[in-house]
Amino acid sequence: MPYLIVHENRCIGCHTCEMVCSLSHEGVINPDLSRIHVIGYKGEKFPIMCLQCEDAPCELVCPMEAIHMDGNIRVVDDDKCIRCKMCTLVCPIGGVLYDYISHKMIRCDLCGGDPQCAKYCPMDAIEVVPDEGVPESRRRGVRVLYGEAD
Amino acid sequence: MVMRMFGYTNKILFVDLTKRQVKTEPTDRYAKKFLGGRGIATKILYEHPDALVFMTGPLTSFVPSGSRMDVVGVSPITGLLGGSSTGGDFPSALKFAGYDGIVITGKAEKPIYIKIDNDEVSLESAEEFWGLNVFDTIDYLTHGHPDLRVACIGRAGERMVKFAGISFSHRNLASRGGLGAVMGAKKLKAILVHGTKGANPYNPMELMSVFQEIQESIMESGEFLRFKDWHRNFVPTILNLRMPYFGDYEREWEKAQEAALKAREFFEKHTVGRASCFSCPLRCWGLVQYDGETLPINLCQGTFPAAVFTLKIDDPELAWKVYQKCQSEGLDMMSTVAVVAYASRLGKVTLGSEEILDFIEKIVRREGEGDIFAEGIKKASEHFGVPAVYVKGGMESWSSDIRPFIGSALISAVADSGSVNRALYGFPEFYYYIKKEQAETVATRFVGDIEAAYPWSYSSSKVKLAVLWENMHIIADSLGVCVIALLTTPLELWAQAHKAVTGEAITKEEFMMLAERIRSLERLFNLKYGKGQDEISERLFTGEYGINREELNRMRLVYYSLRGWDENGVPDPNMLKMLGLGDLG
Repeated sequence: MPYLIVHENRCIGCHTCEMVCSLSHEGVINPDLSRIHVIGYKGEKFPIMCLQCEDAPCELVCPMEAIHMDGNIRVVDDDKCIRCKMCTLVCPIGGVLYDYISHKMIRCDLCGGDPQCAKYCPMDAIEVVPDEGVPESRRRGVRVLYGEAD
Repeated sequence: MVMRMFGYTNKILFVDLTKRQVKTEPTDRYAKKFLGGRGIATKILYEHPDALVFMTGPLTSFVPSGSRMDVVGVSPITGLLGGSSTGGDFPSALKFAGYDGIVITGKAEKPIYIKIDNDEVSLESAEEFWGLNVFDTIDYLTHGHPDLRVACIGRAGERMVKFAGISFSHRNLASRGGLGAVMGAKKLKAILVHGTKGANPYNPMELMSVFQEIQESIMESGEFLRFKDWHRNFVPTILNLRMPYFGDYEREWEKAQEAALKAREFFEKHTVGRASCFSCPLRCWGLVQYDGETLPINLCQGTFPAAVFTLKIDDPELAWKVYQKCQSEGLDMMSTVAVVAYASRLGKVTLGSEEILDFIEKIVRREGEGDIFAEGIKKASEHFGVPAVYVKGGMESWSSDIRPFIGSALISAVADSGSVNRALYGFPEFYYYIKKEQAETVATRFVGDIEAAYPWSYSSSKVKLAVLWENMHIIADSLGVCVIALLTTPLELWAQAHKAVTGEAITKEEFMMLAERIRSLERLFNLKYGKGQDEISERLFTGEYGINREELNRMRLVYYSLRGWDENGVPDPNMLKMLGLGDLG
């Protein structure tokens, strides 16, 4: 399975990623049902989605052990999930959300290996890279951004 | 029972401010005959002439560059149909909240705002923030919450300055025609929208595929390439391309070239990023950071160049402050600069100086003679007895000189719902001076006559091309698609998108028929409720560069006949019957 990398400086805030994410997963256009989110930060916009963290807080906090890795994608077992939404609270980047229509926890599933957000982004702000291809500097950058590195 | 519709939400929100009543009406009553956006809005205004109508189209929020909404009401400056359109994030948010449009009738006693949170709609007091400018109003209502969208007026709209627009965020403005003054007269300060319901297309898989085709088509176009760095070059380009007028409609300004180059330097230094409206790949907004504040600017309508050239400002920082001032007060830049330049001719203000900012403030506050200028250029010229330049109904001209571009002179005279902005974006004559061959190719392809590309030409083929161009604008404004994008991509693809979104097939010919119907309806509106003729101000016909009156009149008659109207511009009853407007004739 590939990995998604965001080049935030390329983003123009057009929300196309949210449109095609909700359209391909839910058959509707609704940014609130998109697994990827364009967020505003100090006047700039960029998308963010589940980054498939190591030692993921969502998995650790889940009281029902409903969240686990399947290959390199973290999935939610709907049968075990009691919809307590603790995972949405602890995720530092808002990568888990609650679908208030179908009443399920939803998150990026990398579209089965062909992420539509990356395919439709007009600015190539979302890049698909194989797992082993994530540059170390990029990983480090993410850690620094979220205060997990010195 | 309300029919299930795709693409549309099938609900139009009707708000009566006098009775403080809110209700919804189904959109399907209008959709078949008037499509959406500009079409439906005009029809509703025909039924409720005191209304202010905000209307999205069936493709709003579904396709690339599908982020548009049309705003229509009686223009306080012309007394005729006033229309302006906007992009940004508000139109799709309105749809996600479950409404195709909002119709506002009546008048509130005290300042209010409309709060829409999906199905919950309420009228709230705006007394606490009446008096705030646009930027502060948005902050007040959203507290920076990124999912709340605002349509509002600034102080100019509150005081019914006749060229105040309606602001949607810090950047998008339904600027022309003074519709902000209509909101001000209704004591409606703002509309706040929060929508989370999304929008349902008929065939999601087909939409995914046509979305990609349209996006590729837009991104392969010259427009996409042109917007890459256009902020840097736009001011010098527009100087060579579109012949801006200087001061109070003068042809020359010795510092023009120098000022344009300084503007380029300014943008090179201060541009920090790019931005787009919802769904759009074109990134036509530049983010400019100046004096600690980041503000977006779009140059396609020539707002910033208008400050430089019309106000003869060779200091780009001052031009930027003028832009900032107009945006924060919610003023139509085209009209504001025209009025200020006219005032300079009367010795009321010095162009190129800081005085301009104070003068605009006087207009916004209607202080002293500012009160007279706030009524628009035509009223001011009647008051002072010095002739001014204006277009149909007394609206201020746009920032290019009309005289060298005969197509724009024609549309400035015959347009019913506003200025050339609603008919001639990307018209070949406008880019003839830098892309001669392309202009000639387009003219030859569409009307079989190279002459239609010549800016100075009074040919009938030019009229034919203008009619076609106006139709394309009407289709874009009614579908809810940005006209810049619409023109880059074949109509057949937009028809495919229409099918995927609504489930209804539509042909190119049907699109054209819809445009003809909507255009004739606009004319019927003005014949019924407006007054005044298809004329532009006397000053445009005089002097060395004056337009040839007889030739322009002849073009006007050709325009009427192409539209199926008689020699007085009145739609022929048989034509109306054919268009399905027989009951209105």
